[in-house]
Amino acid sequence: MPATTKKPWPAQLGLALALVALMGALSLERPNFLTVANLVNLVRQISINGILAVGVTFVLLTGGVDLSLGSVVALTGVIAASFAHPGQATVLAPLAMGILAGACCGAANGLVVTRGRVAPFIVTLGTMTSARGLALLISHGRPVSNLGPAFARIGGGDFAGVPVPIVIFFLVALTAHVFLKNMRLGRRIYAVGGNENAARASGVHVGAVKTIAYVVSGSLAGLAGVVLASRITTGQPNAGIGYELDAIAAVVIGGTSLNGGVGGVGCAVLGALLIGVINNGLDLLNVSSYYQQVIKGLIIVGAVWLDRSKDRS
Amino acid sequence: MIRMNGFIAALAAAACILQGCSGQRGASGKKTVIGVSLMNVSNEFIVMLNKSMDEKARQLGVELIVNDAQRSAEKQVQQVESFVAQKVDAIVLNPCEVEASSPAVDKALAAGIPVVNVNSETRTPPTAFVGSRDEDAARIAMSYIAQRLGGSGGVVMMHGYMGQAAQIKRDQGAREVLAKTPGLKLLADQTAEWDRAKAMALMENWIQSFGDRINAVFAQNDEMAMGALISLEQARRKGKVLVVGVDAIADALQAVRDGRLDATVFQDARGQGGTAIETAVRIVRKQPFDKETMIPFHLVTRENVGQYLKATAP
Repeated sequence: MPATTKKPWPAQLGLALALVALMGALSLERPNFLTVANLVNLVRQISINGILAVGVTFVLLTGGVDLSLGSVVALTGVIAASFAHPGQATVLAPLAMGILAGACCGAANGLVVTRGRVAPFIVTLGTMTSARGLALLISHGRPVSNLGPAFARIGGGDFAGVPVPIVIFFLVALTAHVFLKNMRLGRRIYAVGGNENAARASGVHVGAVKTIAYVVSGSLAGLAGVVLASRITTGQPNAGIGYELDAIAAVVIGGTSLNGGVGGVGCAVLGALLIGVINNGLDLLNVSSYYQQVIKGLIIVGAVWLDRSKDRS
Repeated sequence: MIRMNGFIAALAAAACILQGCSGQRGASGKKTVIGVSLMNVSNEFIVMLNKSMDEKARQLGVELIVNDAQRSAEKQVQQVESFVAQKVDAIVLNPCEVEASSPAVDKALAAGIPVVNVNSETRTPPTAFVGSRDEDAARIAMSYIAQRLGGSGGVVMMHGYMGQAAQIKRDQGAREVLAKTPGLKLLADQTAEWDRAKAMALMENWIQSFGDRINAVFAQNDEMAMGALISLEQARRKGKVLVVGVDAIADALQAVRDGRLDATVFQDARGQGGTAIETAVRIVRKQPFDKETMIPFHLVTRENVGQYLKATAP
């Protein structure tokens, strides 16, 4: 096996320190920042972006990209919601249908990328457009509302005092981390992204590995779609616009390379946390919406810049 | 009054029969065709607008060609250009933007095709305008908050997309009432981009920073009001905080009926869409028409929600 599984921790230590420093500064300025209630709040707010970020990490590690996430979130949310009306409302059916629909979108992406040899950017851009169209078609352009109370617990309920989205996010991140670091297939994802030809030469079925990465990304987008639909208690055909970029930003801020082979679930979680702290902090400080956008953009570029300049030195 | 209208309609119908119903056919004997360019049919309100236009067109026996500009003013201009090329009899425009959609109006008017703007404005004045004043919606909502709070308390406001005409005007209307009610204090205002999920996060953050000081939330649309409502319910604070939205979408009306949402403001999609087509047809048939028709907003609370639930049923 190629030794591409080297741990990127030193690079992330700086980012983790920056996160702690930012949180320290915020808590000095706003005493209600470092309360349990606000921190729970903060992690719940990032859990959807976090789930998407973990999923897209798989694709980015193979050197691909997935722009269809936001539209898949909307499509799977609408599909899940249409199985979640009271009366038919169990939790399982909408959850399964949402994840399945997401997996199908991912499989379509993966197969066209590998079999059709079309650039991932183009394939997933196409899926982004078609999935949005399907979401609008299925819902007739209107939000799918009137959902059962059981379904609403996926996004709004508690499990042993912890909000369910946080539990789901934690389980997803943990499973994905173990899978990538300790399973043979996980290590092959790194190998394909690190050096595709070398991986192929050493007997890795590159096409299958890449397709699996897209299926994971799509399935997790489906899961995120279900959580979102449940959290806002409707399936919104126009939900999730721009979510793919938030997720990719989180992953890249965390230190995963857009060229593949370097990074991991830890990066995604760290990046999502940083974005969450910034969003929450700027709201608590009541910074004007115009400044918020400027600041967020600068932080995305700044974080990656710092990271890269460290690599060069 | 209704009977009077019926009488006039009967007279009009009689006149129509006497004229061999020339109104339904253009001078060339063809059916009247109206080109419609809508801002964005993935928005629930615009979907309702579209539906009411179709109904009215069927009633009046005219044909509609409906295009979706998908929020892009550029696409809208292209659509109007193709309407001009197809030589439609009139154009009903639901503008995406005040400035950027103006060239569409210029081009149609230059080609001698009348334009009726519906719901939003363009800088170039069209042949006729049908819509509502967004300032009024916010004024109605904020006045309701002022009245329910007895003129004093802490208020937070959620904006739509910053810089959109609806956001600017709803902000204006709300601030007018705030200025007149010194007891109402605006604790914070922030955009949630018309989006329910974003509004939930924003509300959670506000609950953290202001806690009990928030007495009321004014959201510039119902999607955001629903988001704020869900956050407040999850934080078990809804009992102490008033939530008011604008638009009267189906979900919000349900919530008003269930006593969860305190109020919303009904924007009459049916009235706007129907009147826009009617005005366009009047212009084509060279009948007298109103250059500006304002369809009023109505406050919807638990007392009167029943009649609106029926009006917006899919």
